[in-house]
Amino acid sequence: MKTSMFSTLARHAKRQAGRLWALGLAVGLAASMAGAGPADAHGEKSQAAFLRMRTLNWYDVKWSKTSVNVNEEMEITGKLHIMEAWPVAVAKPEVAFLNVGEPGPVLVREGSWLGGKFVPRSLSLELGKTYEFRVLLKGRRPGRFHVHTQLSVQTGGPIIGPGQWIEIKGDMANFTNPVTLLNGEIIDLESYKISNIYFWHALWFIAGCVWIGYWFRKRGFVGRYIAVASGKGEELVTPQERQIGAVVLAVTLLVVIVSYAITASEFPRTIPLQAGNIRAIPALDIPESPVKVLYERGTYKVPGRELIATYKITNNGKEPVRIGEFATASLRFLNPDVYTQKVDYPDYLLADRGLSLSDNAPIAPGETKEITVKVQDARWDTERLADLAYDVDSSFAGLLFFFTPSGGRYEVEIGGPVIPEFLPV
Amino acid sequence: MFRSKPNLAATGPVTESIAASPGIEGGAGANAPTLAADAGVLAGGARAAAGTPFNSKAEAAGLVKSADILLLASLFLITLGGYHIHAMLTMGDWDFWIDWKDRRFWPTVLPIMLVTFPAAAQAYFWESYRLPFGATFLVIALLTGEWINRYTNFWGWTYFPISLVWPTSLVPGALFLDIVLLLSRSFIVTAIVGAMGWGLLLYPTNWPILAPYHQATEQYGLLMSLADLIGFEYVRTSMPEYLRFVERGTMRTFGKDVVAVAAFFSGFVSILVYFWWWYVGKLFSTTKYTTGV
Repeated sequence: MKTSMFSTLARHAKRQAGRLWALGLAVGLAASMAGAGPADAHGEKSQAAFLRMRTLNWYDVKWSKTSVNVNEEMEITGKLHIMEAWPVAVAKPEVAFLNVGEPGPVLVREGSWLGGKFVPRSLSLELGKTYEFRVLLKGRRPGRFHVHTQLSVQTGGPIIGPGQWIEIKGDMANFTNPVTLLNGEIIDLESYKISNIYFWHALWFIAGCVWIGYWFRKRGFVGRYIAVASGKGEELVTPQERQIGAVVLAVTLLVVIVSYAITASEFPRTIPLQAGNIRAIPALDIPESPVKVLYERGTYKVPGRELIATYKITNNGKEPVRIGEFATASLRFLNPDVYTQKVDYPDYLLADRGLSLSDNAPIAPGETKEITVKVQDARWDTERLADLAYDVDSSFAGLLFFFTPSGGRYEVEIGGPVIPEFLPV
Repeated sequence: MFRSKPNLAATGPVTESIAASPGIEGGAGANAPTLAADAGVLAGGARAAAGTPFNSKAEAAGLVKSADILLLASLFLITLGGYHIHAMLTMGDWDFWIDWKDRRFWPTVLPIMLVTFPAAAQAYFWESYRLPFGATFLVIALLTGEWINRYTNFWGWTYFPISLVWPTSLVPGALFLDIVLLLSRSFIVTAIVGAMGWGLLLYPTNWPILAPYHQATEQYGLLMSLADLIGFEYVRTSMPEYLRFVERGTMRTFGKDVVAVAAFFSGFVSILVYFWWWYVGKLFSTTKYTTGV
């Protein structure tokens, strides 16, 4: 009885195997899609840890607004430090481009400046220098978007900076983008001459379709194929059709020549595309730091997400200094004893209690101290900097910020090789 | 299934002669009917005796017309896909962006890369059908694909203005190729005259669209064309300026007269590419590769 029931079920399942398989596939697909969320970021986490830590350091980055209306301007400002520790695996930033990371032109870029120079083209930067940057943007498409700073380096690829969520309100239909031409005419770049593009494409498209239709309407493919195959191909094209072809050719050339001539007279002053590198970008004139830092040794504890490094620090200044911040790969690790106020910075990049010291006392003028700095936060992992332990060149770099009681700040580039610890000891 | 359809023609028996075909490479016509009887609904045995699978002249004509349209639509979609992928892979950015449409590379690269499929198509359409629309057919298919892509993806999805992403107009060059073939009936003449014209016509054809965007503007002390400005303002995150493969200096001997030199060079190389791709077209205008399928 049991055997009979099971065999009946087995036969039934066998008959339904195809349907069951299809149903299973559909359920599996649906289940896999249920967990899919919107793509928010720009792949910055996929970049190797050493690349993000040792190439650039964006700091003092500010977004003038996080909510704008369509047609309203906002700007991103800050400083860009090109690291001395620039890795050999990446081409030096001799050809680079100051870019913005955003999902399409949701904000148009009205201008970008580096070292005070307008930089719509590629530019050349020097290692070890710090540049002031500014990007002027204007709201275009409503929505909430993650907007990044970004420096693209030729052969090195994009190196993305910190991002902020920007809310754009209004209606894109109201967006305008006035531009003044050299002749004084003001045009709206958003829609300028787009109808002209449609007109010319439509005209030639119709002409092409008419030409195809003219030949296709008579005998199509099969009839013509049979005629050609039976040796009567030459009879398929009549002298009259050749004359029509000649006329079409003449009209085509005439339209091209006349439209070219009319256009040339309508726009007598045109220029070629402008290209070429912008060099001699003025770097910030930062006085030499009176604080000297000698990196001695560092370890990265993979399970604990900790970078522990020991430095010999000498204060040659006139005021005592304290270590307040370590910044790397757009992440900021703050010493809560120095930063007592809430810092305005994207939360996903801010570890406001992420930095602790073996000796938190200020370093007096003329004093040399050996201090162990512990940088610990889950963001090492969430921002995938923990991969440092698996890089081919296991080194880190970043900026260490020192603060004086009078409000002075000194930034010092630090870095060196680190030894990973994979298991708790 | 068509054999069982009722006969729609009400007239008496008609004997229709359809041109006999020797049946080249097993293609259409290899077993083409030579006789169509129209005598009401014929019994299967009667049709077999008449040597035709059709019940009437009208049915035969209708089927031929259907086959023509199916073939036209199929070829259009196949060439749209194939040519579009080829175009995007070989000269994509020059065609995608207005700030890549320069005087040197755009009129050089596009005709050379794009004369390929039209040459092959001309071999197929002309040799098999004596249809002088191979190049135009391909270009219309390509532009259909490009416009679908530019309008739905670039504009509809990513909101790049059409002024940034319009495709290059290619129809006059294609008409030129086709009509030279029609008039000369020679693929050698078409290669030499037609492909040269194909190369030369690209810039003047597109100048009525492009010229307004080559007007000058001053932006914060820097001279820019409107095309440069559109490319700069409408942010492409993964398109840093240095990626542009455009003229970065003059041709020293020719000064500003870059376009003519580029166009003639392009036309010359297009001639060579045309020959090559005409034979590619001939090589694949056959069913012999599918006989085992």
